[in-house]
Amino acid sequence: MSPSSKPTSSSGTIRVRIRRFDPTVDAVPRFEQFEVPAKPLMRIIDVLDCVHEDLQVDIGYRWLCTSKKCGTCAVKVNGTPKLACWDEALPDMTVEPIDNVPVVRDLVTSRAEYQDMLARVSPLLVRKRDYPGFPEPITETQFASTVHLRDCIQCLACQSACPVFAQKDSGFAGPAILVQLSDLAQDPRDDADRADLADRVAQVFKCVSCYECERVCPTEIPIVGEAIEPLKRIARRSGASSGARRARAFWEIARDEGMVNGAKVALRAGKSGLGALALGFRLWRRGKISFASVFGKGGSGSDAVRRAHQASEKRP
Amino acid sequence: MNRRYAYFPGCSAKGTCQELDVSTAAVANRFGIELSPLENPGCTGAREFRAISELVHLTANGRIIAKAERMGRDLVVVCDTCLLNLVEANAKLKADAEWRRAVNDALSAEGLEFKGTIAVKHFLWVLTDDLGPDVLRKNIVRPLRGLKVAPFYGCHIQRPVAAHGSRAEEKPALDRLCELLGATVVQYEGASRCCGFHVVAAEEKIALNMSGSHLGNAKDGGAHCVVTPCPLCHTVFDAYQPDIERAKNRSLGLPILHVSQMVGLAIGLSAEALALSRHVVECGDMLAHIPQASGAA
Repeated sequence: MSPSSKPTSSSGTIRVRIRRFDPTVDAVPRFEQFEVPAKPLMRIIDVLDCVHEDLQVDIGYRWLCTSKKCGTCAVKVNGTPKLACWDEALPDMTVEPIDNVPVVRDLVTSRAEYQDMLARVSPLLVRKRDYPGFPEPITETQFASTVHLRDCIQCLACQSACPVFAQKDSGFAGPAILVQLSDLAQDPRDDADRADLADRVAQVFKCVSCYECERVCPTEIPIVGEAIEPLKRIARRSGASSGARRARAFWEIARDEGMVNGAKVALRAGKSGLGALALGFRLWRRGKISFASVFGKGGSGSDAVRRAHQASEKRP
Repeated sequence: MNRRYAYFPGCSAKGTCQELDVSTAAVANRFGIELSPLENPGCTGAREFRAISELVHLTANGRIIAKAERMGRDLVVVCDTCLLNLVEANAKLKADAEWRRAVNDALSAEGLEFKGTIAVKHFLWVLTDDLGPDVLRKNIVRPLRGLKVAPFYGCHIQRPVAAHGSRAEEKPALDRLCELLGATVVQYEGASRCCGFHVVAAEEKIALNMSGSHLGNAKDGGAHCVVTPCPLCHTVFDAYQPDIERAKNRSLGLPILHVSQMVGLAIGLSAEALALSRHVVECGDMLAHIPQASGAA
């Protein structure tokens, strides 16, 4: 959709509250409120331009391609990440920098941490085999599974909405990194050990599958289904992380018994220690688990599902 | 109206959250809803079958749907994650003839076929849509006036939007149900966020940070209890609540109700019939906020 097909803002004025913060001089952030005349087809960035140019206020914000390409203008509007250059201005809006990234000044956030993490997952094709000739033939089918991933403009809206990435000590690389990594990992020309990069470096199994990243993605990439799940597929077989072990334990129990018992999965995935004992006792006391349910055999499972699994494992 | 459904309780309701299965059956029985369990249904795969292959995910879920189709009934589930797996597989297999053929090839050995003739529903939707607010209202004998409830929706009943369409606004539906039953809805930050269940076994700290923040906000908002349509959210909030209290260094004591238990209380079912004693967090103080709760049969 082009900006000109956007609905027209209501006439009158737009009231905007902008979060101001310069970490080199300010102890705490503050909000400043401005009123600018509403114009037809007004975008968030047009309002910021008015504040900057007409009202002569030195707010910091990024202004580059203004056409949903460069991904540098993402801001938080009334609590939700938006692209300033693309989304419509609201009559009453609070504009803040996106979450989970360091603020450089006002609405400008640092991309340094993202770039550093991206560098750690080898963001270029890694080639060990000889090329059969140049250009190397590659078919549309071979690219089909990653076609949406290449819509990513790296605006980091998804990182700002991710509840795991928000926990700074989680070690999770975040959805934007996983989109880039998944694109390469699914590329038939690539020879890097993407399973290890996904499991150990990007820590893909820490994704909670909450779909918050998809909710806020301005280019509507199915991040969970088309980037993260394929990466888990690649990392699951050899992964050494607790998440990869848990995924394998879950499958083994589902394969053998049909129905899965959560406590059994946790035990087989290596959960132990006093915390696990205390949890087990708590559940047993309320009748939530029994000795038989954890150590006995649940059911027999399904041949059809087992065969589907065998067929999947045969694929490269 | 057809009130007969195929029923897939899932592993939680048959394992660590049996009170969900018990209370769902009790409420269904009161409303004349017939829930027939599927035989040897297997597992929808949580988030794990997807991490093996699309084929395993679609075969396991197509198989469950095919079993319900053989009964000629819509399929009812009581778990958000099972719901999303089945809803997505149902849509995919209805739309994509190639996948349908692959899955039916696998299912033929068990004499099953996915035809695409039924809908998958959460028990919450059976109550709010199929049964409807008028019937619900007529059956309330003990309005939950005085009870402050914090609804917690769970991710997979509302996201992704592509799977749930207009259903993606599940938040107001659960809010409306609470209000219809007479309860006061507590608005709090985190109601539509993630409980962290899918990493709790491997990455407990990450999950407890997330759930602890939501429960803390609900408590600060004055909630007497939380209600959720998902047993996985229930497990993190209830079974792990002592761990959350330790991690967050604050006392919570917040009972977590399944939707069926909350409805059951309002239509006069007893705490025993709703298996409230199976929770890790005691429900006694919460019941004291409901008028006549102690005298209900």
